[in-house]
Amino acid sequence: MTKTTRVLLNVVLIILAAAWLLPMYAMVMTSFKSPREVAQHNYLALPKGLEIRNYLTAFQVLKQGLLNNVVVSIPATLLAVFVGSWAGFFLAMLKSRYSQVVFFAASIATFLPYQIVLIPFTKFMATTKLINTRPGLIVAYLILNTPMAALITATFFQVIPPELQEAAALDGCGPVRFYWRILLPVGRLGLLSTAILIFTMIWNEFLIALQFTQGPAAQMATPVLAGLRGNYAELWHIQMAGAMITSIPPIVIFAFLGRYFVAGLTAGTLKG
Amino acid sequence: MYAMMVWTIYVSLTRWVGMAPSWEFNGLANYATLFRMQRFWNSLKNNALWLIAFIPPTTFLGLALAYVLKLSGRAQAILRPIFLYPLALSFVVTGTLWAWMYDPGSGVINGLLREMGLKALSQPWIASPKQALFCLVGAAIWQYTGFAMSLYVAAIQDIPTEIFEAAKVDGASDGQIFYHIVVPNVGHATMIVIAMLTLFSLKVFDLVWVMTFGGPGTATEILSFFMFVATFRQQFFGLGAAISVVILILAVAVVIPYSAWAMKRSQR
Repeated sequence: MTKTTRVLLNVVLIILAAAWLLPMYAMVMTSFKSPREVAQHNYLALPKGLEIRNYLTAFQVLKQGLLNNVVVSIPATLLAVFVGSWAGFFLAMLKSRYSQVVFFAASIATFLPYQIVLIPFTKFMATTKLINTRPGLIVAYLILNTPMAALITATFFQVIPPELQEAAALDGCGPVRFYWRILLPVGRLGLLSTAILIFTMIWNEFLIALQFTQGPAAQMATPVLAGLRGNYAELWHIQMAGAMITSIPPIVIFAFLGRYFVAGLTAGTLKG
Repeated sequence: MYAMMVWTIYVSLTRWVGMAPSWEFNGLANYATLFRMQRFWNSLKNNALWLIAFIPPTTFLGLALAYVLKLSGRAQAILRPIFLYPLALSFVVTGTLWAWMYDPGSGVINGLLREMGLKALSQPWIASPKQALFCLVGAAIWQYTGFAMSLYVAAIQDIPTEIFEAAKVDGASDGQIFYHIVVPNVGHATMIVIAMLTLFSLKVFDLVWVMTFGGPGTATEILSFFMFVATFRQQFFGLGAAISVVILILAVAVVIPYSAWAMKRSQR
């Protein structure tokens, strides 16, 4: 590569990186600005002081939603990973024709849009009185995410040599003990990736959260944030503060465990 | 999941309008109504435009970035997260953020253009029926390029290093290596990226809801959004189920060949 093309390439790369950072930068800066500063439209300027009131206002609106997010996302993730990893275990270890079919069916269920089941799902939730409750949301997310958990854990478990299970079986170790004693410790990074991905997906999910809840009691943070856009129209500093608060858990996960997040994301594509 | 899909197909054949379900069989009447609706074809057209405007740039940027970052050596440790972090955000956050970026009056993009003395270039963006859909696509590209990039990074890592070294010894330039070694060897990643981005495009709902609510007019209405509004806001359950079935057919047309291909590949 000649010197000029190298310089040119670097310039393009820097411009792209700046373009990717700009929205986040503007969001953080504006979330700390006073209404007067916001009105000046100096998007790149640093805020003159830290206007914590923006965050307090947004937090007041969002706090019940955030609490619901915690109460729903964590158990739903743990349950989905637990149930899904059992399924993934059988899919990866028992290489029968039958498990191939199940694997295929699970992968299709994972990739289809939720709209396809939304009408009967809503009816089901209403009939079982689970609609507009937090346990109901846990059930819904468990049902929707278990196929994906099975698929991703199966992908991770596939690299575990089958001889390990054969040897364990010879020593009288049944599948249940094998799961707890060998598979969980050996496959823990795969399980961590799966859990991180599913937690982030549930935390960020919107359609199910919107459809299955009404009013503040059980509503998750995403529909509340979407509503905040209407109630604080044009008050960008409040909106940005709200967006920031809602993003804290996924951003923290991404910052510290980004590698596992990406590993789960790519494993979820069946890349083989 | 599968039981519910069958149920959806059944509902699409009933006369269900309003709150109380009606199981009265109605044949293909919902589909006949749907195919006569200009609004349905408009949504379908917007879905098609979305695919055309979204997939090629995201795929190309993902591949180019994966390769250029590999060349950039140590700088990639800093650069890679810059393109990946949007993946951790929710579409509601992305939508809130980008609705502000694109706001014609107090938005960031027009504001920066003003500051740089390029006021002539400022656009109505999201407020214009002609541009709004592409504004949404822009936000989606911002969020999903990192996804394509990380799949390409893995694919490039799978290419044996000897091939790169041999090409270097033979005096191939980085550009030649890109065209003759990288591009031919990442075909499977391209399959994955295109399939995943297509499925994502059929799912897009949050961005539309938050940024434009389908507007201006119906300029950004796509099938997933139209289905939700027709079913749960206007109570045409039978019709909504028919839209779901159309989405199902489109998704299945991608998913089944893709899953079969991916499973065959992983058997090797």
